[in-house]
Amino acid sequence: MVTKARDREARRGSGSSGASGSGAKGDSPGKQIERLGLEQEDLTRILYFLKLCRYFDERMETLYRQGKLPGAIYSGRGQEGTHVGVAFALRKEDSLFPTHRDLSAQLTKGLELKRVMAQYWGRIDGYTRGRDGNSHVGDWADARTFTAISHLPIAYPVACGAALAYKHRGEPRVALAICGDGATSNGRWHEALNMSALHDLPVVWVVNNNLWAYSTPNTQEIPVETIAQRGAAYGMPGVRVDGANVLDVFEAATVAVERARKGEGPSLIESVSLRWRGHAGHDPAKYVPKEMLEDYMQNKDPVKRFQDLLQKEGVVDDGAVAELESRIKKEFDQGYEFAQSSPLPDPGDVELGLWADDGYWDREASRNGGLS
Amino acid sequence: MATDDGSARGAEKTEKDASEAGAAGHGAEPRGKRSENGEATYLIAIAEALWEEMERDDRVFMLGEDIGVYGGAFKVTEGFIEKFGPERIMDTPICEETIVGTAVGAAMEGLRPIAEFQYADFMTSGFDELVTVAGKYHYRSGVRLPIVFRGPSGGGVRASNFHSNNPEPFFAHTPGLKVICPAFPTDAKGLLKSAVRDDNPCVFLEHKWIYRRIKEQVPTDPDFTVPIGKAEVKRDGGDLSIIAYGAMVHRALEAATELEDDGISVEVLDLRTVWPLDTEAILRTVERTSRAIVLYESHKAFGIGAEVSAVIAEEGFDLLDAPIVRLAPPNVPVPFSPALEDAYIPQVENIVEAVQKLSKW
Ligand SMILES: Cc1ncc(C[n+]2csc(CCOP(=O)(O)OP(=O)(O)O)c2C)c(N)n1
Ligand SMILES: [Mg+2]
Repeated sequence: MVTKARDREARRGSGSSGASGSGAKGDSPGKQIERLGLEQEDLTRILYFLKLCRYFDERMETLYRQGKLPGAIYSGRGQEGTHVGVAFALRKEDSLFPTHRDLSAQLTKGLELKRVMAQYWGRIDGYTRGRDGNSHVGDWADARTFTAISHLPIAYPVACGAALAYKHRGEPRVALAICGDGATSNGRWHEALNMSALHDLPVVWVVNNNLWAYSTPNTQEIPVETIAQRGAAYGMPGVRVDGANVLDVFEAATVAVERARKGEGPSLIESVSLRWRGHAGHDPAKYVPKEMLEDYMQNKDPVKRFQDLLQKEGVVDDGAVAELESRIKKEFDQGYEFAQSSPLPDPGDVELGLWADDGYWDREASRNGGLS
Repeated sequence: MATDDGSARGAEKTEKDASEAGAAGHGAEPRGKRSENGEATYLIAIAEALWEEMERDDRVFMLGEDIGVYGGAFKVTEGFIEKFGPERIMDTPICEETIVGTAVGAAMEGLRPIAEFQYADFMTSGFDELVTVAGKYHYRSGVRLPIVFRGPSGGGVRASNFHSNNPEPFFAHTPGLKVICPAFPTDAKGLLKSAVRDDNPCVFLEHKWIYRRIKEQVPTDPDFTVPIGKAEVKRDGGDLSIIAYGAMVHRALEAATELEDDGISVEVLDLRTVWPLDTEAILRTVERTSRAIVLYESHKAFGIGAEVSAVIAEEGFDLLDAPIVRLAPPNVPVPFSPALEDAYIPQVENIVEAVQKLSKW
């Protein structure tokens, strides 16, 4: 078993990161930007989201370590290229089906930072009104994201249903679901891919391959060389991209999203990066080799890479970057204040909200957490 | 048919009544029509409810295994695909988790799915999506999930371990699902129509023993519905109450007729909906008779009987003249051999005996 796993590792090449490099078509970053039709405003927004997600992740971890944050944190650090890249390829009316790990994708899709923070502190203004916590969040009414559920990958089948509705009604909309490398071992991952291919559903399946599933590396989880090649089993395209290059991820996602939108069926995208932090706040992740982590942090940081690229291409200068940074810090601080000042839910309401007709979610509709 | 139901079909031949043929297994028999005097079987009543709701609201669609051209294992959807087309009568692969998940996603996007399980036994194969997603989603998000999960449940038809189960306690226990278990064609039709119109996820458990055995005059008004969460007294009596649902209602009624000759007057309360439980109706019948037997086909321990008994004990202790009795199968799998299955499921004679004993208490 161990030998087999080593064989697989060798076949994959060092660090399992044999994904395509900058510019999926092998051209220069400048050409890639041109080809993708991204304007300065788009590029700056991508940078904003990358930096926002990184900043949020770091500050939240600090608060967690200081004992100021109740509940759990599931860091997405190091994977922002995947999260921002795929979510940025969606339109507002498209839907996103994330996991615990994918808050950065949800923020990019349009979740309000302050309400996400109210969620972390169990407040009434959180998207789930204190009925769930941390990144088990979502906003169907506005950002069109599924309220994440722990069980993996439980939202994959649900994405089939949303896509089926778009297909039935002839709407040019797409459902995009994300899960981790580990979740691809679960039966419903395969069920959902099979169903989507069989019915030509407008879905994009994204696997955020951060090389570990909790403490379990790819080699002990996946008997094939890449997750992308599993697409072939369901007759759908499967591509593997480097999650360190947000534009590569965005490009692959755009191709898949447009294919789905045109009614040509589902696709699978495997985006490779490293989970820089432990599975959750409690996990020091000693099982990740130190040199590997350092390599990823120094050489494959999706945020830094993109910022350097934009500076080199003259899209942003130091001043613009500083401006983004102060804006993000301000948003975080305001979000924190908002969360602390938001009331806790009324304990007397604990039984309410279960049934569609008990009136709870219609109350104070301005809060509107997830109401359609 | 060379399926794992082959054995069940073989065993049916030993049964006396021709109307029972096909009851256990895949319905080689067509669904049939209402009889000339307008009576409908439970199966026909269910098909009518589905048909009428699909005609009424084009957001309603069905998905499940073999429901299209084949018309479903029990032929409930026979002829549907010709009328509604393959998009609204959607055949799926064998993927219960994804059948449930697809229903959830479609409901989130404003459709009103009806997911058919070939047998209610296979709900366990879709359990996680049912319990973890469908049941909890509205509480966490405020997003409505108008879905019906329907399937044939129950035993007494020699269908053995995996085609005879009564999964209602699982779903009554978990938050956010309504659980409906009708015993009569009229109730089945009216409750199914209510379930399709309900904005909550509903688990609708049909009983395969009843499918082709019980017939009655069933309303034809397309707006006829029966409210979810309301029990009904199916037979008035003054000495003792049997609280039951599903096929056990019919056993209770048979026992009550026999007991009439002994001078014991039995009231039969049909819960119709297991959750939300009609506690008022339960207390009302106990108030009338002061003696209660809870009769059910799901396993005895930690089940429906425990809940009904606890309601009576907590809220109606003063009303009782005798201890509450639970009459239900033991906590073992549903066995195949007719000798064993009959020992497993409460029979009319067991009910008669229990009533006689309790009325002397
Ligand atoms: C069905 C299920 N089993 C176990 C868990 C506990 N668990 C949470 S995250 C995790 C690892 C997931 O790994 P992966 O799919 O690679 O996602 P990642 O956390 O790395 O993003 C496990 C085992 C779960 N959430 N769901
Ligand atoms: Mg992982």
